Amino acid sequence: MTTTGLSRRSFLAGLGAVGAATALGGCVTSTGSQATAGGSATGPVTLQSNLSAPSAKAAMQALVDSFNKKGATQASLNTVASETFRTQLPTYLTSANPPDVLTWYAGSVARSYADKNLLLDVSEVWTGLSGYSDALKQLSTDSGKQIFIPASYYFWGMFYRKSNFAKWGVTAPTTWAEFLQVCETIKGKGVTPIGLGADNSTPWVASGWFDYLNIRVNGANYHRELLAGKHSFADPQVHKVFDQWKTALPYFDPKGTALSFQDATTNLLQGRTGMMLIGTFLLDTTPKEDVDDIDFFRFPIVDPTMPLVEEAPTDGFYASAHTQRKPHTLEFLKYLTTAEAQEAYLKSSAGSSLPANSTAKDAGTPLITKGKEMLTKAADLTQFFNRDSSDALQPTADAALIKFIQHPEQIDSILTDWQSAAKKVWTS
Amino acid sequence: MTATLTAPAAAPPSPAGPRRKRRTLSPTLLAFVLVPLLVESLWVFWPAIQGVYLSFTSWDGVSPPTMVGFGNYAELFSDPTFGKAFLDTVLWLVLFGGLSAVGGLAMAMLLLKDRRGVGFYRAALFTPVVFSLVATALIWQAIYQPNGLVNTVLGAIGLDSWQHSWLSDANTALYAVIVPALWRQIGYIMVLYLAGLKGIDPTLYEAATVDGATKWQQFTKITLPQLSSVNSVVLSVIIIDSLRSFDVVWALTRGGPYHSSELLSTYMYSTAFQSLRLGYASALAVVIFVLAFGVILTYLVRAFRDADA
Repeated sequence: MTTTGLSRRSFLAGLGAVGAATALGGCVTSTGSQATAGGSATGPVTLQSNLSAPSAKAAMQALVDSFNKKGATQASLNTVASETFRTQLPTYLTSANPPDVLTWYAGSVARSYADKNLLLDVSEVWTGLSGYSDALKQLSTDSGKQIFIPASYYFWGMFYRKSNFAKWGVTAPTTWAEFLQVCETIKGKGVTPIGLGADNSTPWVASGWFDYLNIRVNGANYHRELLAGKHSFADPQVHKVFDQWKTALPYFDPKGTALSFQDATTNLLQGRTGMMLIGTFLLDTTPKEDVDDIDFFRFPIVDPTMPLVEEAPTDGFYASAHTQRKPHTLEFLKYLTTAEAQEAYLKSSAGSSLPANSTAKDAGTPLITKGKEMLTKAADLTQFFNRDSSDALQPTADAALIKFIQHPEQIDSILTDWQSAAKKVWTS
Repeated sequence: MTATLTAPAAAPPSPAGPRRKRRTLSPTLLAFVLVPLLVESLWVFWPAIQGVYLSFTSWDGVSPPTMVGFGNYAELFSDPTFGKAFLDTVLWLVLFGGLSAVGGLAMAMLLLKDRRGVGFYRAALFTPVVFSLVATALIWQAIYQPNGLVNTVLGAIGLDSWQHSWLSDANTALYAVIVPALWRQIGYIMVLYLAGLKGIDPTLYEAATVDGATKWQQFTKITLPQLSSVNSVVLSVIIIDSLRSFDVVWALTRGGPYHSSELLSTYMYSTAFQSLRLGYASALAVVIFVLAFGVILTYLVRAFRDADA
């Protein structure tokens, strides 16, 4: 062993220096140099997509390919698994070299990023835009300027199999009383009337029930204000929602909170349950031969004096405020608003959603047409729980609603717990 | 088989007398130690220290953070979910840790003798360790389905009343999740104990048999004391793995239903990435670290004190 002149003491001293250097904890929250938009970088417009399901991913690629065929500006698609995308989204938007365009949802989830000046003002894409309803423009606006480009939307409803309903001798109800009557008849035939797929992996399905009951009992404005933190979950109005829900709980699938919504869809298709409150995405996993047998009815009317509001979650795109390729990005976004682009996307996907551009052709099936008519005639449109409030509030809803479904007698403590959990989200 | 433990080659003793020769380190040794240390410092220690810094802030990942001092820690004490997660973690430590240690030792004792076929059983018990915990969780999720393997078997043997929705019933969720974690951990602990058991001098057992000791006396008076060094390793492994248990719980229940199977690790994850409260989540991480470090340190201090005595 040759001596190198390095003693243990000086070795440890060096180690201590390294340790001291690591104590620079403040570096973790610095978000890097914020380059302003407009710097011209070369390269294609990057589209970061969270649509990782195979059919949706292929549809996105078809959309990008049809844009690239049109002219000199090129776009490239980067698909990320949706859970990773959701957790990484703040990082994408605050980085110095962000993706130019990102897929996401409309509602307060987009507005919260716009309020932090992370989204590009795309009002110039909206000027002179035809085929988009005022409701959609309102949805895409934050503080007077547009920050969102809607691409497609879908609807929720009580889905059932026409053949099964005919077999049981029931017709689609319109009022709550008729609905309970239909449940009673189906139960008499030995079938679970209401299916549910809200297990630990997909608990948000239960929020559909809460949303709809809230907008039927208290109206869309109360619902949106509640989700924005302007009302308390312990209010008597919210209690009324659950009292209404309790009347239908006996008809729910007792194993509803142990099944994912995919398994619940299978139960519905195989006649083990009568109907299910779900979105049109159930058609994505329905076998082709069963799709024509599926029909839906609007969520039953509870209070006839309340205007009819429906849930229509809207998906679309927004651009990062720090994009380095602003003119190309705006060009790409302009293309995404055209009927041609939306049809290109819908053609390759399962066809369960509606294009945002009303001049674009949708799948044209009777189901889709019926849904579109329902939405056009609706007095107002809400998104979904997490899109109207925030991703942070959704887990509080999941815990409260699943607990209610399993232990409805504990509703009072459930609501106070929900309010204290929600308060922490709003004040953080 | 006698154990052949070779002590590491001792450095040449320094010459006697007042002249103090400096102990030197060879450059190869330095490189082997420094390079992983550097990697660890950059990718593990530095973020961990930054986590401590973050625990004194309120940060959502997007806007600049605001300092809140000990506000996060104060909030921990009044948070019912934290209390639940803490109790669940202690329960997990005791059940998962205790059962895997006992089970691992039992399996090791059983499979100690080199009989025909023992290699197969050892490999079979160790194989779950090799599987990804998420893959394990997916398989067990199918087993725990309302019409999955467990309920079908219970129904077949006439125990219909014991059927549950194992993963979505608040009373059974936590225990249901411990089973796949235990299934994996027992194999791992068994291997650790096998290595320790093989290092025990068999002449001790022969002497004990001559003296007329029963099997149980041999176990408590010879085996257990000889395993004390392995025990400290096993304890550290168990504590660290218990507190790190995240994959299997998250993949099976995500801490649900309504926090029934919430552990400190899953609560930390959901607070950080679902509720986007990174400051509060960092405070949780610090609590987990203190818990792990504290328990291991107390045990090691006591073990070394006993060894010196």
